[in-house]
Formats: sequence, C-alpha cells, structure tokens
Amino acid sequence: MSDKHPEEHIITIEHVDKSFPGGVQAVKDFSAKIRRREVVVIMGPSGSGKSTLLRCLNGLEERDSGTIIVDSIPLDDDRRHRLEIRKEVGMVFQSFNLFPHLTVLENVNLAQVRVRKKTLKEATDLSMELLNKVGIAEKAGNYPAQLSGGQQQRVAIARALAMKPKVMLFDEPTSALDPEMINEVLDVMKNLAREGMTMVVVTHEMGFAREVSDWVIFMDGGQIVETGTAEHFFRNPQEDRTKLFLSQIL
Amino acid sequence: MNEKIKARISPLHWLRQRVFLFRHPWIDIIEYVLLVALLVWLMSMSTAQLGYRWQWHRVPRYLFQIREGRLIAGRLIQGLFFTFRISGVSLVLALAVGLATALLRLSSSFMGRVLSRVYLETIRNTPLLVQIYLMYFVIGPIFGLGRFGSAVLALTLFEGAYMSEIFRAGISSLHKGQWEAAHSLGLSSYYTYRDVILPQAVRRILPPLTGQVITLIKNSALVSIVSLSDLALQAKIIAADTFLTFEIWFTAAAIYLVITIALSTVAYYLERRFRILT
Repeated sequence: MSDKHPEEHIITIEHVDKSFPGGVQAVKDFSAKIRRREVVVIMGPSGSGKSTLLRCLNGLEERDSGTIIVDSIPLDDDRRHRLEIRKEVGMVFQSFNLFPHLTVLENVNLAQVRVRKKTLKEATDLSMELLNKVGIAEKAGNYPAQLSGGQQQRVAIARALAMKPKVMLFDEPTSALDPEMINEVLDVMKNLAREGMTMVVVTHEMGFAREVSDWVIFMDGGQIVETGTAEHFFRNPQEDRTKLFLSQIL
Repeated sequence: MNEKIKARISPLHWLRQRVFLFRHPWIDIIEYVLLVALLVWLMSMSTAQLGYRWQWHRVPRYLFQIREGRLIAGRLIQGLFFTFRISGVSLVLALAVGLATALLRLSSSFMGRVLSRVYLETIRNTPLLVQIYLMYFVIGPIFGLGRFGSAVLALTLFEGAYMSEIFRAGISSLHKGQWEAAHSLGLSSYYTYRDVILPQAVRRILPPLTGQVITLIKNSALVSIVSLSDLALQAKIIAADTFLTFEIWFTAAAIYLVITIALSTVAYYLERRFRILT
C-alpha cells in the first residue's frame, strides 16, 4: 500500500464520508488503496457501512465528500467519467438481481449488445464461454426463476464478467444462499481471483478470505478498525472489536 | 387435538374450496345469464306498467340494411365504427402521454415532476364533460383543431392522466435491484427502461390498463355532446326519431358490452402469454 507506484493502484479511496437522510453516518473518513490483481475482503458487523462503501465505488450510492478514483478515472460530476466507471466495474449483488423476463443467455448478452455495441453473434459467443466457465451453460435457455439460488448467482457473475470489467465488486454474494450452494459460488470466485481479477468482496466467508484474499479490512461504525492478511485476523487480531466479531462468526 | 384443529380450520377451508368452484367459467356464465334474465323480467314488469309496446323487429334495420342486394351498415354500426376510430386514436395517444407523464414524474427533473403533477391533478379532478366542452370551444380553435381533433385531445389528456398513474405504479413496483443491476452493467437510462424496466412493468399493469382502455371506450360516448356521430349519438337520434327508446338503448349498450368483453378476453390471453415465471 505504498505510494511509490501510484499507477499500480486501480482503486484509490480518500476520506470518503457518507450519511443517509435521518443522520446515520454509514461511512466515516474512509481511505484505502487497492492494487491491480488484488483481492480485498471487507468484513464487519451489519450496519458497519461495508455495503455502502462498496456501492459508493461504482456510483450506486452518492458519497458526501472525499475522493474515489478507479483506474485513473475520478468518480466526479462528469457524466462520462461516471459511465466509464460503471462499465469498468462489475457488481454482484446479494439478491442476484437477474432480469426475470429474460433467459440466462439474454441476461448475459444484454449489456454486451447495448453498451459494448457488439453483434448478437459476438455477444453470444462470449456469453456461452462465460456460462461454461461458471458451469451453467446447459441452462442458457432457461429463465432465472427456473434456477437455484447458487445457479442464479453464477449467472449474475457471468453477466458482470461479460462487460470485461477491470474490477469486480461482490456485495455479500453468498448471504442469500442455502448452505449447500455457497461453495459452488465461492469456487467460481476463487477461480476468478486466481486468474488475476481485481476483486473487492464484502463477505463473512473466512475460508474464502484465507484462501484467496491478499488483505482484509475490518470495518465498524463506518471506519476501518483493523487491516491485515486473513492469517493475521485468524492468529492475532489486535483490536477488541475485531476479536469479539471474529469470535462470533468463527 | 387433531379434531380441534380441524374444526378450527375446516369451515374456512371448506368455504375457500366452494368459492374456488364457483369461479369456474361456466358458473360465471350461468350467473350472468340468470342476472340478465332477472333484469329483463324486472324491465318488462315496469314497462308493462308504463304501457310500453316492445317493437324489437324495428331494430335490425339500424344495425344492417340490404340495399340493391348489398349489405350495408346501419346507423348504429356506422356509429360504432366512429367510436372505434376515436377510441383507437385516443388510446394510442393516451398511452404515449401516460407513459411520458409517468417517466417525467419519476425523473430527477424538478420542473418535470411539477409539470406532470399539475397536469395529472388538473385533469383528474375535473369532469371529462367539462373538458370536452373546453377543448372544443376554447382550446381547439386556438390550435386550429376541428371537432374530431379537440375531442381526441380531450379524451387523450383525460385517459392519459389515469394511465400515467398506472404506469407509475407498475414502474415503482419493481425491485430496486433491477435498476441497480442495469446501472452497474453500464446501461443508459433509455436501455434500462426499454429492456429491463418497461417489459416487466407492462406485464404487471396489464389488468388495470385493460380496465382503463375499457373506460376510454365507454367515455368516448361523451363526445356526442359536441355532435360527433358516435354510437351514443346515433342511438340518441334514432331513439328520438322512432320512439324505440328502450330497444335502441339496450342495443347500443349490448354493442358496448360486446366490444369491452372482447377486449377483456384479449387482455386475459395476453396476460397468460407474457406471464413471468416466478
């Protein structure tokens, strides 16, 4: 996290604040830098601001102050910058958010055709390749409602990857899944991490953090409480707040 | 214990099963026929007291006539064609106005929201009859609109206001995750609405929208007050000329009923065709 090679940092977050109407401050003076090809896990109790922070990174939430730079593009009032960041940053949601009136293939094709302006043929080729990769190509013609939660989430990952994003954000991707489906999604994410995708993952899956993350941010009250490798959190967490939280989830 | 629970649930359960049975289409149709029979009987009782002489045999010539060996439309059917024309044009325009108003109402533009709100409340809270008069006598002439044009404008604005609320409800009912997914894929607002939001919203609003289309067709009868010869005006003229008051008005009502029931049926099949699996 040094400043010697600033171009290495694909995401720069500086002094970001975000409050919601009603006065709840979700994120307080948050700063972090994420390198290319890094996998960062964000943990923390519910209401600690981790999802809000993630949603600020692609403009789903509007921060009140601070700086966010993604791949040298500042997330500011310039509409072109905002659009560029939306295209370059993929997002996977807790509730999948597939488009229910479109088939699996159409879900993955849509943005390629509409945003990347590919032909249907080009889009379908890439879509099938990605669906193969997430192990769900045989369901290409099905509708989301005909799929299990784990399958839907894998389609959602393929849909985000179809934009060839430079960064992937995961907002509690396994929290809405039945236990037996969690691993099929985590496996896809692990493969993605090994291929060198830059990932920011909000999750409580310690196994995932331990296996593929480069470092972990522990947040509480909208602030960073502690950062370090997953191993550090396992073996010797420093802050009392962290210890308490880990004792509850492990 | 088991008996106790059974006793508590079963009456309701029993009732539900019966209610379900009663909703079989044939039972609906039988109910309807019985109701109509009852109404006809009541009518004949009351008209008997009035000394009304039914002359149904004089009605068919106002539906169809045969002249020089060719079947031509009678006055009522001519009126019906006019009703189709004015309702059809108004429907297309009202859908456009309704959708545009709903989108403005949901937009981030302050002026857009204010304007759409003012339009909606003004139109929705004044009688259509007054609006048709105003369009014809005051606003139509300013824009050089004739009788037909000002009537279409009045119907369009009136029905468009109601349709905008239906559209808005349908759009707002979608989970916000749909917008967020579209946003994070980089889709523009145009494609978000066109490919993601509207296809889902339209499926949801088909039932109330059908109701509004039926209302439009029925409301189109009001344009007869500016002497547009639609079905209602034709019926009025024939009834005045021939004193076949009840026969003609019943016939006209039956024609409206046939159109609107046909529409409901089409909408029912559309709904089934485009249902989203959940």
